[in-house]
Amino acid sequence: MTGLELIRFILGCLFLGIGVITYAIEIIGVFKQKVALNRMHAAGMGDTLGLSSSLIGLMILSGLNLNTVKMIFIIVFLWFTSPVCTHLLAQLEVTTDEEFDSYCEDKTK
Amino acid sequence: MKRVIELIGDVSTPYLVLYKSVLILLALFLIFCLVRAILGPRPADRLLAVNMMGSITMVIIATLSMLLGEGYLLDICLIYAAMSFLAVVIFTKVYIGVYKEEKEEEK
Repeated sequence: MTGLELIRFILGCLFLGIGVITYAIEIIGVFKQKVALNRMHAAGMGDTLGLSSSLIGLMILSGLNLNTVKMIFIIVFLWFTSPVCTHLLAQLEVTTDEEFDSYCEDKTK
Repeated sequence: MKRVIELIGDVSTPYLVLYKSVLILLALFLIFCLVRAILGPRPADRLLAVNMMGSITMVIIATLSMLLGEGYLLDICLIYAAMSFLAVVIFTKVYIGVYKEEKEEEK
């Protein structure tokens, strides 16, 4: 492994490492926060940055072929679905929480 | 260190070491997600953990397809993304509907 292949391997390692580290930060955040809406903030990170950078790393490692196109499709699909998922989960939390108004300060009143 | 090398197994090329270590780390994260799903006091926490497990599983399938050299595993990854999205949407909609019905019955 010399020259161009070595550079490709190092770049792929870098992006995969960023993805795995993002997932680690996500897990730490989910266990550290006390309120469910704050946990949602930590979990939304892994869906977008973690998955995107991991798949970009795998794309660099695989080279240009049909697999790369499929990975691009997965990333584009996740861009659309992940915000919808997080929005629906936040809606569920706000709807079902009985004491939501007590710890959510309303400045309009 | 020797124990880690035994766990990874065949270390003939750097690609194998990279893919296998990523797989082991992500499997560890999956266990923590499961712990969150069991602990989570509210239903939103449990659904959140399921959503996180879905995205980690997608990366595991994509890495496995590179490790085995099988391109068709990425099609499964795409289907898994669609199914995990659909599961979260349906669960939240059903739960909100059931909760509102119970509220109206109480009144």
